[in-house]
Amino acid sequence: MSSSPTANSSRPVPAGAGIGLRSAHHEALVRERPAVGWIEVHTENYFHDGGPHLAALERAREAYPLSLHGVGMGLGSADPLDRAHVARVARAIERFEPALVSEHACWGSHAGENFNDLLPLPYTDEAVVHLADRVAEVQDLLGRQILIENLSCYLSYSSSRLTEWEFLTAVVERAGCGLLLDVNNAYVNSVNVGLDAKAFIDGLPAGAVQEIHLAGHTRRQVGERTILLDDHGSRVPEAVWRLYEYAIRRFGAAPTVIEWDTNLPDLSVLADEAARAQRRLDGVRGLAA
Amino acid sequence: MASLPELQARFAAALRGDPGPIEHDVVGDGLEAAGRLDIYRNNARAVFEGALERTYPVLRRRVGEDYFRQLAHGYRERFPSRSGDLHGVGEHFARYLAETESDSGYAWLAELAELEWACECAFVAAHEQPVGPQALASLTQDELGLARLRLQPSLRCVASSFPVLDVWRANQPEADGRAVDLARGGQCVLVSCGVDGLELALVSAAALAFTRQLQAGVPLGDAVDESGLDLAELPGVLGMLFSGGLFTAVIGPSLESDSK
Repeated sequence: MSSSPTANSSRPVPAGAGIGLRSAHHEALVRERPAVGWIEVHTENYFHDGGPHLAALERAREAYPLSLHGVGMGLGSADPLDRAHVARVARAIERFEPALVSEHACWGSHAGENFNDLLPLPYTDEAVVHLADRVAEVQDLLGRQILIENLSCYLSYSSSRLTEWEFLTAVVERAGCGLLLDVNNAYVNSVNVGLDAKAFIDGLPAGAVQEIHLAGHTRRQVGERTILLDDHGSRVPEAVWRLYEYAIRRFGAAPTVIEWDTNLPDLSVLADEAARAQRRLDGVRGLAA
Repeated sequence: MASLPELQARFAAALRGDPGPIEHDVVGDGLEAAGRLDIYRNNARAVFEGALERTYPVLRRRVGEDYFRQLAHGYRERFPSRSGDLHGVGEHFARYLAETESDSGYAWLAELAELEWACECAFVAAHEQPVGPQALASLTQDELGLARLRLQPSLRCVASSFPVLDVWRANQPEADGRAVDLARGGQCVLVSCGVDGLELALVSAAALAFTRQLQAGVPLGDAVDESGLDLAELPGVLGMLFSGGLFTAVIGPSLESDSK
């Protein structure tokens, strides 16, 4: 497997719409070459020494700028940082030379057991320091800035003393990282834990937001309460599109990716969603012109 | 107020089935803490089961959804995930099944799991440039016996007492899943992965032992002797390995560098 740089290595991700690429779409992407601006993959899916999936991503990155999005580092865990995991991320970065690298503002393991989920942190000064110092440590190990994504949550903690935007802002200021704004997550949190989604967007440091995620969610009734499950299994709902429009009016046209992980449709559906995002980005550019 | 490590310890206890300690740390807001924690507990279980199912699709098809879920639950309790990378979650599944299913009517499941784990490992291994039989041409007869033949990193050798390859083939997505006579006896299988995907080949017990010797770096002559491979079978076995692109280097006795 070649890991040598190519003419397309480290191509910057454009301030346009891209898609999350999953292995089921590898062949279709190369065959159909959809008109999307860039692709993003889950870093952990390309940790290995070789195989058809790595070969497929090598081909895909020849045609599209690439972002690596990690789901397994659990930066906010009180457990020690998994340096072996970070080393594998570093290897993937060396191999694929992505334009962007991102992780989540979450924790994931306790006493060595990994729950392989994005678990919420309390919004406290202690958690700010812990997460920011971990982010800074990882940035030092990787030799580059990373972006941190806001989570979707199904609960909040009584110990939280900061709002979510104050928490993320403090982490950005202390660690020097960037932000990946997941608009669907903000919307999901507005229903699940009462987040004021527009205040959240207003409160984030504008210069730090370097990427935006969009996805669908599922509505579920749990007793008397409606809960939104962030399952990335459907088209972006209208309410999330409206919040996205609000976000890009504030932050300007930012690289935006359509995430889809369950009930995966044909690649053309993802490309269609990306086109819908692109039209909104073009609209913001038109306003700015 | 609980410290961050304390809070995560309580949350982890809830994920393991004891929501009591963390309930007071969670804001209810119309849904009690236990209900909110259930979402995370179910998600963690589903993610683990999903990863195991992707690694063991044949086993999952053979035993059905309910029994697979039961196996996954017991396996997760014994071998919880230790990594943020889910691909290694199934590493100990064959061992777990050997321990728990050996006295049941499902003793063959452990061997099937061993084959599927070999497939998983082969699928993500590096692929090196293969060499052809002409790589042997420069060696004399004496040198040939002392030569070491390097194999593809993806190659895995699986020996079973049940016909696991037949079961595997009968339960591929495009196959009809017909029942396989488990009394048919064991099978020896070479698993590898090239540019076109997985390759599984049925071989004799001696050929499998011979391949394992070569993998261990044993010279060709000794590998034949140690494995009990009939010399008459040697050309056929070498031909199969060469044609499968499974040799990556021939290292002659007088050469420390690879002969390609």
